[in-house]
Amino acid sequence: MIQLILFLFVGALLFSSIFFLSRRNPRTEGSSKVLVEARQALNSLQSGLLPPELVGRIFAREDFEYVANHTPKHVQEMFRKERKRIALAWVDQVRSEVVSLRRFHLGAARFYAKLKFKTEMTLAFDFAALLLTCRALRAFLYMRGPYAAPRMVQTTAAAAARLCDVSEKALAFLTPSPLSTFADRSAGTAQS
Amino acid sequence: MLSWTIWSVGILLEALILFRGFQGKFVSRYPFFYAYSGCVLFVSVLTYFVYAQDSTSSGMWYWGAQLVSLISGYGILLEIFNHVLSPYPGAEKFARVTGFIVFGVIFCFALAYPLMRSQWSPAGTMVELERNLRTVQAIFICAVSCVISYYGIAIGKNMKGMIAGYGLYVATSLVILAVRSYAGVRFDEVWKVVQPLSYDISLIVWSVTLWSYQPNPVAERSIQLEADYETCVARTRSLMGGMRSSLGKVARP
Repeated sequence: MIQLILFLFVGALLFSSIFFLSRRNPRTEGSSKVLVEARQALNSLQSGLLPPELVGRIFAREDFEYVANHTPKHVQEMFRKERKRIALAWVDQVRSEVVSLRRFHLGAARFYAKLKFKTEMTLAFDFAALLLTCRALRAFLYMRGPYAAPRMVQTTAAAAARLCDVSEKALAFLTPSPLSTFADRSAGTAQS
Repeated sequence: MLSWTIWSVGILLEALILFRGFQGKFVSRYPFFYAYSGCVLFVSVLTYFVYAQDSTSSGMWYWGAQLVSLISGYGILLEIFNHVLSPYPGAEKFARVTGFIVFGVIFCFALAYPLMRSQWSPAGTMVELERNLRTVQAIFICAVSCVISYYGIAIGKNMKGMIAGYGLYVATSLVILAVRSYAGVRFDEVWKVVQPLSYDISLIVWSVTLWSYQPNPVAERSIQLEADYETCVARTRSLMGGMRSSLGKVARP
C-alpha cells in the first residue's frame, strides 16, 4: 500500500509540474529588463521601504498613544486599522522586492557554467527562508497589530545603510557616472 | 473494439506527426523526438498486424513494443535537455547534477528494494519493470520542469508541447501501472484502455504543438555582469543578509 501511495505521489507530482509549466507566464527574457527591475527594487528598498524614519513612522507607538489620549474609541480603532493596513502593505512590498532580487540573481546565475550546485541550493534555501520570514512577519503583524516592534527604528536604519552600500556596488553599472558623462561632454566640446 | 479504435487512431496520429515533421523539415531540428516517433510507429504497426493475425501471441509483442517505446522515450528527455537547457550552462549544470542525484537515489533504491521484499512474483515483473522505468522518467521530467520554472527559462511552443505531451503519458502510465501492480489482473481491462488512450491524447498534443516550427526564445545577454560566479553569489548573499537582519529586527518585540 505504501508503495502504491509512493508511485501515485510521483504521478501526481508530475501532473502538477506539467500543469504549472504549461500555465507559466513567460517571464522577461534577457538580462536588461531584469537588471532594470533589480535596480528599481533596490531603489525602492533604499529610498522607499527601509529608511528608518519611514519604518519608524509606520510602526510608531507614540502616534497611537497620542490618538488614544486625545480621540474617542472609534477614531482609535480606525487609526489602528489604518496603521495595520499600511504595515501589511509594507511587508508585502518588501517581499515583492525580495522576489525581484531573486529573479535578478537567477537570471544571471543560469548563464554561469561554473555554477556550484551546493551554493545554489543554499541560496535557494536562503531565499525561501527570507520569503517565509516575510510571510511570518505578515502573519505576526496581522495577528498582533503594528505595535509589536518598538526597537525597529534604530535597527532598520542600520540595515538600510548596509543595504545602500551593498546595492550601490551590485548595480553600479546601471547608474550613469556623472564624472564619465562630464568627461564625454568635454571630449565632444574639444573635438568640435 | 474500443481498444482497436484507440490503437488505430494512435497509428494515424503518429503517421501524421511524422509526415508533418518531414514536410516541415523539423526532423533535423528534433532528431531524437522523431526517432522516437518513428520507432513507436514501426512497432505499433507491427504489433497491430501480429495481433490481427494471432491475438494469443500478442502479449510478448506488446511487452516488446513497450520496451522499445520506453527506451526510445529517453530520446525525448535528451531532446528537452538539449533544446531547453543547453543555452543556459548554469541551469544545465544544476539540472544535470539533480539528475545524477535522482538517478543515484533510484539506483540505490532499486538495489535495496529486492532485498527488503519478502516475496517475488515473476508474473508481475514486466509491469513492475515498466513502472520503475516510468518512475525514473517521471522524476527526471519533474526535475527538468522545476529547473525551467526556477531559473525562469522561456520555452517555445514545440518544447512546451513535447514536455506536456510526454509528461502526460508518463504520469498516466505510472499511475495506471502502479494500480495494476497493486490490484493485479482484475485491473487489466481498465489498463488496456486508459494507457493507449493517454498516449493518443499525448499524440494530439504533439500534433498541435509541433505543427509548425516554433523554437525557444533566445535569451539576450546584452549587458555583461562580472564573469565571476562567486561575485554574483557573494553579492546576492550580502543583499539577503542585510534584508534578513532588518526583517528579523523589525519582528523582534
